[in-house]
Amino acid sequence: MHTFWKTIDWILDKLKIIGAICLVGMTFLTCADVVGRFFRHPIFGSVEIVGFMATLAVAMALPYTQQIKGHIGVEILVRIFSEKKQTIIDLCTSFLSLGLFLLTTWQMAIYAYEMHESGEVSMNLELPEYYIIYIAAFCFVIFSLIILRDIIQNIIKLRHS
Amino acid sequence: MNPTLIGIIGIVIMVIVFMSRMPVAFVMAMIGYLGFSIMISPQGGLSLISRTIYDVFSSYGLTTIPLFILMGQLAFNCGISRRLYDTGYKFLGSTRGGLAMATVTACTAFGAVCGSSPATAATMATVGLPEMKRYKYADELATGAVASGGGLGMIMPPSIVLIVYGILTEQSIGALFVAGIIPAILVTILFIISIYIRCRLNPEQGPAGETFTWGQKMKSLLGMGETLAVFVLVMGGLFIGLFTPTEAAAVGVFGVLAVSLIRRQLTWDGFVKSLYETLRTSCMVMMLIAGAVIFGKFLAVTRIPFDMATWVGGFDLPPYMILTVVVLIYFFGGCFMDALAFVMLTVPIFYPLVTGLGYDPIWFGLIIVMVTEMGVITPPVGINVYVVYGVAKNVIGEVPLESIFKGIFPFLLAVIVGIIILMIFPQIILFLPHLMY
Repeated sequence: MHTFWKTIDWILDKLKIIGAICLVGMTFLTCADVVGRFFRHPIFGSVEIVGFMATLAVAMALPYTQQIKGHIGVEILVRIFSEKKQTIIDLCTSFLSLGLFLLTTWQMAIYAYEMHESGEVSMNLELPEYYIIYIAAFCFVIFSLIILRDIIQNIIKLRHS
Repeated sequence: MNPTLIGIIGIVIMVIVFMSRMPVAFVMAMIGYLGFSIMISPQGGLSLISRTIYDVFSSYGLTTIPLFILMGQLAFNCGISRRLYDTGYKFLGSTRGGLAMATVTACTAFGAVCGSSPATAATMATVGLPEMKRYKYADELATGAVASGGGLGMIMPPSIVLIVYGILTEQSIGALFVAGIIPAILVTILFIISIYIRCRLNPEQGPAGETFTWGQKMKSLLGMGETLAVFVLVMGGLFIGLFTPTEAAAVGVFGVLAVSLIRRQLTWDGFVKSLYETLRTSCMVMMLIAGAVIFGKFLAVTRIPFDMATWVGGFDLPPYMILTVVVLIYFFGGCFMDALAFVMLTVPIFYPLVTGLGYDPIWFGLIIVMVTEMGVITPPVGINVYVVYGVAKNVIGEVPLESIFKGIFPFLLAVIVGIIILMIFPQIILFLPHLMY
């Protein structure tokens, strides 16, 4: 089990690095396009590539953001409860989140498959967009696993208390 | 079941689940999905979540968000703030309360390259608090100035909340940005007046600092040069139609990166930290947008926004009274919830109502951003207060939260005065957008 979670952490780390590279890539590609346009040589399809890189950057940041608890929640009420009650509430909401994102993962994979089957490609560069959707679905798998790990940790915490 | 009733039940459940600390984005997506499934079909709900999330992630219009966040993060990590503060200090330091005035001025200037309120507060707290401590400023005034000044980062373009508002309501981001400049300057002036009055009544709060020659003052202006250059390039290019918002943001990132490399003030670690922090914030914002869009689609099928507009219209109240109620809702909501999340949650409900009353969408956007901005400094949530509390602990020693909240009160009054002025004279907001668009 330990090796499994270590592998997930390794994947999370690599996704984060690729996401960061995409951020830098979209900055430079957009700037190069602006400069190219100034000299009447815009980069063909740059808008599409930047859109894809932004999608990858955000999708790949999902597990990392969950790991560092980067999403905003309203803490005002929960804070006044005991630690045990807080853990129970977190456990319940994590189950709800897990359910929601497992459904999302499943539907996103179906969406990618449908796009693949229909042979739909991007408008200018004719790139197969379903690859990006499959990668996004994969990121949601890792994201869901991080939520699952939170659930396991909360259960262990409850048992110890 | 009546669609409106389903909608109301959905909203009530959502508010209850919010209190459980479950991320706001997840709650909105979950309630939106369940509601849509009940109203339309389970399969419709399933398609809605996956496709909406993917559409939001892949929207070219939204790529502007990670880029503007990156621009702010790089500015945060490369020392621009110190030079801005130095300029403010040289000009205002010799006046009573001058360092606090310099802090809020530097906050506005830093807001011109950073669209995040807590990031502005954290940066200025790191730079400004030790200086104010050195000159024996009261902790209340010092921490209150940085926490409140940080809020200016949200009004001064580029502002992430304004970008999101523009996308949700299909308003021009350029027009919203240009509309934010005068209100940001107005609030800065009101903050300075508030500090002046405070130090006049109680000189112990902010003793006068050293005086500088005009030569030194003029030389310090060079420190503002790069920020001004990046701001003019980014906003100027956007306003005259040279760049799209995404291109303007990319050019801004490049500009800040170039400045920091020339000045050799950005380390590799700082660069990597900026990238990771951008990923985190962008992911959080994009998930919030996806959640709000899913929830908005559910609300649209329940017809609540339209029914509400008709219902409120039936009271035959003067539009300003309805607007005042809406503004109060934003004020109280902002006290309990993050500004961005609250704007995203409520815009689908209140936007049709307010624009139906004949109010300008750009003006309304600025008003709600200013109102929710108060939420970053008001208890119990007041994110900027906690940010400043954390930074203060490291740089000048612990300052009790009560002292920071106490120090904020005069600034809060100044923002309220600013909002009242802008509600009475909407031309102050609309003058620049009408001139340019």
